Amino acid sequence: MISVRDLRIEYGRGRRRTLAVDGLSLEVGDGELVSVIGPSGCGKTSLLLAIDGLIKPSGGRILVLGEEVKGVRKDVAFITQDAGLLPWKTVRQNAELALRLHGFPREGVREILRALGLAGFENRYPSELSEGMRRRVGIARALALRPKVFLMDEPMANLDTLTRERIQEIILELWHMYRFTGVLVTHDIEEAVFLGQRIVILSPRPAKVVEVLDNPGMGEPGYRRSPEFYEVVIRAREILGSPEGR
Amino acid sequence: MRQLFHYLFAVVLILLFWSLVSLYFELSRGVALIPYPWGVAAAGAEMWPEWSAAFLESARRFFISLILAFAGGVPLGLFVGSHENINRWFSPLIYLLYPIPPVALLFFLYIAFGVGEAVKVVTVTLTLLFQVTVAAHGAARNISPSHILAVRAAGANSLQLHRHVILPAVMPQVFTSARVSVGLGITMLYIAETKLGIVGGPWSGLGNFIEIYRMRTDLSLAGVVGLAFLGLMFYVILELLERWLCRWKYAGKS
Ligand SMILES: Nc1ncnc2c1ncn2[C@@H]1O[C@H](COP(=O)(O)OP(=O)(O)OP(=O)(O)O)[C@@H](O)[C@H]1O
Ligand SMILES: [Mg+2]
Repeated sequence: MISVRDLRIEYGRGRRRTLAVDGLSLEVGDGELVSVIGPSGCGKTSLLLAIDGLIKPSGGRILVLGEEVKGVRKDVAFITQDAGLLPWKTVRQNAELALRLHGFPREGVREILRALGLAGFENRYPSELSEGMRRRVGIARALALRPKVFLMDEPMANLDTLTRERIQEIILELWHMYRFTGVLVTHDIEEAVFLGQRIVILSPRPAKVVEVLDNPGMGEPGYRRSPEFYEVVIRAREILGSPEGR
Repeated sequence: MRQLFHYLFAVVLILLFWSLVSLYFELSRGVALIPYPWGVAAAGAEMWPEWSAAFLESARRFFISLILAFAGGVPLGLFVGSHENINRWFSPLIYLLYPIPPVALLFFLYIAFGVGEAVKVVTVTLTLLFQVTVAAHGAARNISPSHILAVRAAGANSLQLHRHVILPAVMPQVFTSARVSVGLGITMLYIAETKLGIVGGPWSGLGNFIEIYRMRTDLSLAGVVGLAFLGLMFYVILELLERWLCRWKYAGKS
């Protein structure tokens, strides 16, 4: 489904050159939900941008659904770090945006908004919503295209605990429902364990994979409170805290 | 509604002040050097056909100039502002030409466009065009990268990016700058209309009207009042247009 091999991403030239990702390899299977965690500024966003075809890697290969990535694909959705809602569009217009850009019929958006608890807010502007609602509109916009692949860049960052956990549960439900292939970037260890069938731990910049943790219990009811959950959290914390993971 | 009340209040205040000034001159000099508001109103009523024709003529010129300035300035500012390599070459040019008042070049404009209708519209258009271009240019260079990223990730091409992000993002600033420039534009229109003095007669614009009747203070002041109304009218039109086109700006506020 997603295959990243020896990825290398650099920004700028000459003395301002920054190596963001170097020698990163990652495989995500069909219908798998993988979380990616790493120190701040290590290159997580850059990795997602490259998978979505928004930036050109300077080395390595990326295959999505068996094809080399050349640009943004219709069947890949990207939720950005701050949802990136357009303030001049209403909730419905924001949610319909991807459909509209691709010239698809604007169907199903009402249902998606309702499922995300946004019914009745279709004609409001983002400035009239709470931060948690805005993030859900961002999810709705990505969902509207019925994508096969979901790339999520810290969709729960800077939310209060309750809202954060509510949206985590929404993402889990959606994954059960649509069985998309997902990559979720986060810097929250518990979130990574709650939402990742595997947890990919990245090194500090330039990012490469330090370790991949299996997380067989993910998705089971009450997982957040189970001893297995804490075991994986502790294990991830150890790796992130060790010299190579810091 | 409240807004209307504030405008009415301002009008009353100005009329009161004006009457006091007239009264002061009448008492100190013995003659009414400055006509009273009601005298001016009477003179305007007496010459109503000419006055209203002049008003409409000036309004028409200003309106055409405003449309041309928007139609030219917004795309130009966006284009230069959102292409880094073009911006390097063109933005010094814009900022170099920006401070030149077109009336300083009026003589050359007459040579280029004759002494007829065109030169008046061109003078005002140039004035407004620069304001609008500079506003659009500045706003286009400050567009939130997160909006651009989100829309590109949703699959937008360059045209769609302009349509859905860049254009709506710059509109509030363009409108603000156009509104602020109404006064300047009216000044330029007045100068362009008066410089040619008598040509065209009193009905060919408020500038001419004021110039032709400058010996009849009450009538010439009626022309000035016309200019004030003209400015206010366009200010209000632009304000209403902005409130409608950029209504998202006002959402969430009472
Ligand atoms: N457009 C850019 N130009 C130059 N350097 C950049 C650019 N974007 C990112 N970088 C650099 O690349 C590195 C990785 O950035 P990236 O945004 O991928 O990190 P991140 O892991 O997503 O960080 P965070 O946890 O803060 O979201 C950073 O050191 C950053 O300075
Ligand atoms: Mg990031």
